[in-house]
Amino acid sequence: MIGVVFSAEFLRRVTSRTYIIGTVIGALGIVALALLPRLFAGFGGGSDTIVLVGDPALTTPARTLLGSDYRVVATLPRLDATPNAAFLDAHRRAQAVVVLGRGTGGLRASVYARDPSLFRTAFRRDLAPLQLSLATGLSVAQVRQRTAVPVDVHDVGGRFASASSAEAAKGVGYLLSFLLYLAILLNAQSILASVAEEKTSRIAELLVATIAPVQLLTAKILAAAATGLIQLAIWLVAGIVANSAGGGIFSDAAAQASNVPALDALALPQGEVIAFIAFFAAGLVQYGVLFAAAGSLINRTEDIGSVQGPLVLPIVLGFFFAQMGLQYPNATNTVVASQIPLLGPFVMFTRIAVSSVPAWQIVLSLAINVGAAVLLAFLAGKVYRVGLLLYGRPPSLRQVVATLRA
Amino acid sequence: MGTLVLSHVARSFGDVVAVRDISFTVPPGTTFGLLGPNGAGKTTTMRMILGILVPDHGSVTWDGAPVDGRVRARFGYLPEERGLYGKLKVRDQIAYFGRLHGVRAPLDARRADAWIERLGLEAYANRPCAELSKGNQQKVQIACAALHEPALLILDEPFSGLDPANAEVLLDALRALQAAGTTLILSSHQMWQIEDLCESFCVIAGGAVRAAGTLAELRAAWPTRVIEVEPADDALRAVLDATPGATRVVSTNGRELAYEVPAELDPAALLRRLVDAGAPSRFTRVEPSLHDIYLRVTGSAA
Repeated sequence: MIGVVFSAEFLRRVTSRTYIIGTVIGALGIVALALLPRLFAGFGGGSDTIVLVGDPALTTPARTLLGSDYRVVATLPRLDATPNAAFLDAHRRAQAVVVLGRGTGGLRASVYARDPSLFRTAFRRDLAPLQLSLATGLSVAQVRQRTAVPVDVHDVGGRFASASSAEAAKGVGYLLSFLLYLAILLNAQSILASVAEEKTSRIAELLVATIAPVQLLTAKILAAAATGLIQLAIWLVAGIVANSAGGGIFSDAAAQASNVPALDALALPQGEVIAFIAFFAAGLVQYGVLFAAAGSLINRTEDIGSVQGPLVLPIVLGFFFAQMGLQYPNATNTVVASQIPLLGPFVMFTRIAVSSVPAWQIVLSLAINVGAAVLLAFLAGKVYRVGLLLYGRPPSLRQVVATLRA
Repeated sequence: MGTLVLSHVARSFGDVVAVRDISFTVPPGTTFGLLGPNGAGKTTTMRMILGILVPDHGSVTWDGAPVDGRVRARFGYLPEERGLYGKLKVRDQIAYFGRLHGVRAPLDARRADAWIERLGLEAYANRPCAELSKGNQQKVQIACAALHEPALLILDEPFSGLDPANAEVLLDALRALQAAGTTLILSSHQMWQIEDLCESFCVIAGGAVRAAGTLAELRAAWPTRVIEVEPADDALRAVLDATPGATRVVSTNGRELAYEVPAELDPAALLRRLVDAGAPSRFTRVEPSLHDIYLRVTGSAA
């Protein structure tokens, strides 16, 4: 019987407009997240075009040094007049003219820019090796070699081989915790919508005449989990494709620089995948049964908003702690939050993705959240069972508590 | 086929007693009318039969055994408040409820088509239920309740909201189920339809049984009969006024004399006295209708 309801629920969900739109918007959001930096960089590239002017002995190394932050569209030996906007327009609509020369303190740069704010820190930092080269007589290559400090960062947990792989993991962690948040929120809401539809249209009475409420609820949660996993898979693929196509935020520039292919950066360890599914399941069951119980208490679809408001709060709180966890995975607040029911799935998963979490903490968090899921399913199941047949005035808090104690 | 027995079932919701003490038996293959005013406890009783609610006291048995999930799958239910998935197509909806009762594919679709044809819903088979009129939605609901060929079909107010033509379609469908041996329990305020369909009745009010039995049994237990006599002249009126226990009641057409008399009164003797006194052109002993019995038993006005 669970199978019949499950397949009907599953079909209804995957063909519902809400699910399709949610999945597509989610995928587009992830693609945008991955590609936006590149997109902005593209816009930036356009605004950072420059014309270099000066002795080729200066402009040639400068062209290389400035290359990472600016695009040099022309190199001229000298200027005939002070450059103006018309001069810039004539040189492929460049944003600035940079005149390099030698002064008493060594290298001297004069910039004639449409937007002077573009020529601050990065510009000075890029040209610093050339200044040192002039002062010491060493070549630019030698200066760069001698100023580069080799740094080896080691993960005491033994998980990450280098700082760049840890950085890449942070990008992946960000993506996955965002997906977890979206998948749990959207699918818990869809459970509420489904229960509310059956309650308000009185289908519930027919259903519970043929199937026990606990079986009905189980079928709904399983269907939501299945559709949620499909949604996650689609989003993950979208993230991987967008990331590899765009070199976006999900794999760190350092990882790319050290020739870590983008796909490798997103290739998750098996343990992480298992943890992801386990925490997704624990989270979805906890929120799913709460949303189902809330849905069973309403008599009009207009009341959906008022009952789901308080339930969204822990999801948002969990996501907030998960974001904190990305930066400070082992801070006391984060560690504690990762052990709290309802918050744990978001926070612990993020910690797992970006750091080496002691195994006992993972096991404890999973045990607490699975235990909480069972307890919540038991309590919410009671409310659901009674709520489904309760019509008329919405029950008071006292009645709900009495139901829970019955 | 099985016998449904309710034995002293009771159910309260907090301080509110919905069903105080109800017992009745529905023999296999019969049609049973469950009557009572609003709030009498009919829906709660039906929900207890279906296992949606558990009785606080008493028992519900089918063929001598408690009603469990396996037995319940052989029951069908049409609740008073209709419930359909608005976006689901008519054929899919009917087949889904069949599957919920254990009808496997492809039989579910075949039976759904048969019911669609029987109820004249062919034009709507592939339309979402939300697009159907209330009457047609009700017909879909009937098909959903009966697709699995239930041993017991409980129908709570099946005629409400149906126009006469659709009510006739439903009556035909119910007669076909009767002919197939399905046990039916009907609750309705349409007394003439109930009287026509049901073989036995139970009238409940205030959560307790007020009268039960076949219509003949209910009539036999009825303490009075109405005697109608024409013409309404003084000689005949004098005989009726002198009859022990006779009380004049309002005539239905105004041209006759109507008296309520004790049920045991010999009609032949009364007729002889009337003939001796005058020239009666019509003498009728009127049996109480289900409607009369219902009103008297529940103490309510129509």
